[in-house]
Amino acid sequence: MPRIERTASVSWEGNVARGTGLASGDTGSFSELPFSLPSRLNAESGKTSPEELLAAAHGGCLAMSIASELTQAGSPPERLDVKVRIVMDEVAGKGHLIVGSEVDVDARVPGFDEARFDALVRSADEGCPFSHLIRATASVTVRARLNAT
Amino acid sequence: MATERRAEVTWNGDLMSGSGSIDRVGSGAFGPLDVSWPARAEEQSAGKTSPEELIAAAHASCFSMALSHGLAQAGNAAERLRTSATVTFVPGTGITKIALEVEGSVPGIDEGAFREAAEAAKANCPVSKALAGVGEITLDARLAS
Repeated sequence: MPRIERTASVSWEGNVARGTGLASGDTGSFSELPFSLPSRLNAESGKTSPEELLAAAHGGCLAMSIASELTQAGSPPERLDVKVRIVMDEVAGKGHLIVGSEVDVDARVPGFDEARFDALVRSADEGCPFSHLIRATASVTVRARLNAT
Repeated sequence: MATERRAEVTWNGDLMSGSGSIDRVGSGAFGPLDVSWPARAEEQSAGKTSPEELIAAAHASCFSMALSHGLAQAGNAAERLRTSATVTFVPGTGITKIALEVEGSVPGIDEGAFREAAEAAKANCPVSKALAGVGEITLDARLAS
């Protein structure tokens, strides 16, 4: 099996309350995304945060995992729409933890059998490495709807 | 108070030849970003991101904030931290390793105290805790010369 490495780089200047960081992926697909403590904890403000990056990672991971399961079942999806909400909270005695990832999936798979769909989504969730990992601190819920027409 | 962060992804077609897009994120800070299986699972990424690259960015940014906080609390605020995270993905197995590297410009601190602060940030940042199941998370911390 190939070992694939993906690297991202961050620079941070200043203290945590007023400083700013810049995050870049080494593939060049995103570069110098600003983030800061206020953008992490307060209302969304045009800057990203670690948790938003995880939401994007989880969405990409599950979309590919569901596409893989459907393909193996003989029905590749026409389209999957995946929305992920990552929830971070302060937990007594443990500080800030990522406590939840709530995923909504709309799948358009012509002719696919509704009765097989829920089990397929469950095994896609189990097969997504990121779902598996974040269950260390978070509850992962996946709600999926099938449009088979 | 709980904080929520959102992302939306679209995928079209099968895994091997289909393609996806991280259409938008709640903050609007990035997107759309193309993703595909070949870009994720082959050495050459063709300039596309992947879940593992996004996890690397999440971990490096979380770690940097935790370290800047720890240093400031100990009275040695950082001028600048440069961090990278490298995530190793083995298709079929999962994420097997994350390597964190940090170089700090921190007035008035010695190498040992900096390494100690970096180890604490690695142990305590929320993304580290969420990824505690990764078999190997390494840290290389040094002061800028």
